Amino acid sequence: MAKTYDIVIDGKTCSAEHGEYLWDVAKRNGIEIPALCRSEAFPEHRASCRVCIVEVVARGRSKVVTSCVYPIEGECEVHTNSPRILQNRKVLIALLAARAPESDLMAAMASHMGASEGYERLEPLDAGKCILCGLCVQACESMGTGAISTVNRGVDKEINTPYGAASDDCIGCLSCANVCPTDSIPFMEDSMTRTIWNQTFELSRCKECGRVLGTQQMSDVELCDACRRKAIANELAETYRFV
Amino acid sequence: MVSDEEVIQIVQSYPAERRYALAAMQDMQHAFNYIPEKGLHCLAKHLKCGVAQLYSMATFYKALSLKPKGKHIIKICNGTACHIRGSVNLATGLKRELGIDPGETTEDGMFSVEMVNCLGSCALAPVMLVDGTYHNKLKLEDVPGIVERYRLADAEEGEAGND
Repeated sequence: MAKTYDIVIDGKTCSAEHGEYLWDVAKRNGIEIPALCRSEAFPEHRASCRVCIVEVVARGRSKVVTSCVYPIEGECEVHTNSPRILQNRKVLIALLAARAPESDLMAAMASHMGASEGYERLEPLDAGKCILCGLCVQACESMGTGAISTVNRGVDKEINTPYGAASDDCIGCLSCANVCPTDSIPFMEDSMTRTIWNQTFELSRCKECGRVLGTQQMSDVELCDACRRKAIANELAETYRFV
Repeated sequence: MVSDEEVIQIVQSYPAERRYALAAMQDMQHAFNYIPEKGLHCLAKHLKCGVAQLYSMATFYKALSLKPKGKHIIKICNGTACHIRGSVNLATGLKRELGIDPGETTEDGMFSVEMVNCLGSCALAPVMLVDGTYHNKLKLEDVPGIVERYRLADAEEGEAGND
């Protein structure tokens, strides 16, 4: 059994197992810490948006940590909304909002944090909604496809497929677009096709009811869940009719 | 043109573990002056990883290039000492001589010019490194002579090849 500690988050005493991430402990105890690059779908987190910073006081010292990847290894006191954290988080949000000027989410967060004004010196990039958190890359890798990655570095960094061309690895599953916190990955879909990452996929449909199942590259399943269940039920009924 | 055999030989010389990705790419850069697209694909297959991961690395490191580099690579040091002593003038001189800015390659594929951060020879500032040879305490008027020297050497080599 792992060792447990009593930690105090915003005045509330919470029990945490050794090695558990601070963000998870807070969440379990009803304390919400904002985060952008975090998805429940993955066991490991990125700490790249840095919005989930909190102040941890242990052994008389205070430090700022990213709570999504901070493992609890002793008793401590945590402040998720101290003046220092609010100020730091405000600057982080202002920077992310300037990076993704077209994102409604970032604009809303900036105005909520009071970061819409006073940061005019941050010249907004002329590029889209992406905050470069890399969650899409993580999603693509965990799908086993690994079709997209971060390209270049510094101010030229972006998310793309190799050579900005159609990738043989991409299956058009939309995991990247679904996991994106700022909806920055563009894709188009009509009744027959789906276009994402510089290539167009043909959609496959349930051969019974015609519902869209995904792209043909995703799987060779021919029936949707409902129709498959119905088919199995019919088969069972047929088999056991005379029993 | 890079042959498949050359690429395969470099890729196969490393065990199929991802930690060798950078080493293999460095070898390709060294052998071909760039990393060809088929090199990335071949390496990805060997290491059983996505091409995207390798592409990410190849675009991250300045030492790796995905476009063919020139036969002669000219590195202008732009460290603090060289900068103060006029490394930007050297870039201007090369632009005049070769018609390219740092980061570019001449159309004939002979020269590439790069601006680098520090070559560690601050006492010799401003420094320019051509194919591993240091040219130090340069002035703007030294630049044409250096470029000419490499052009002449190439011409001689070409003649020797014709004989």
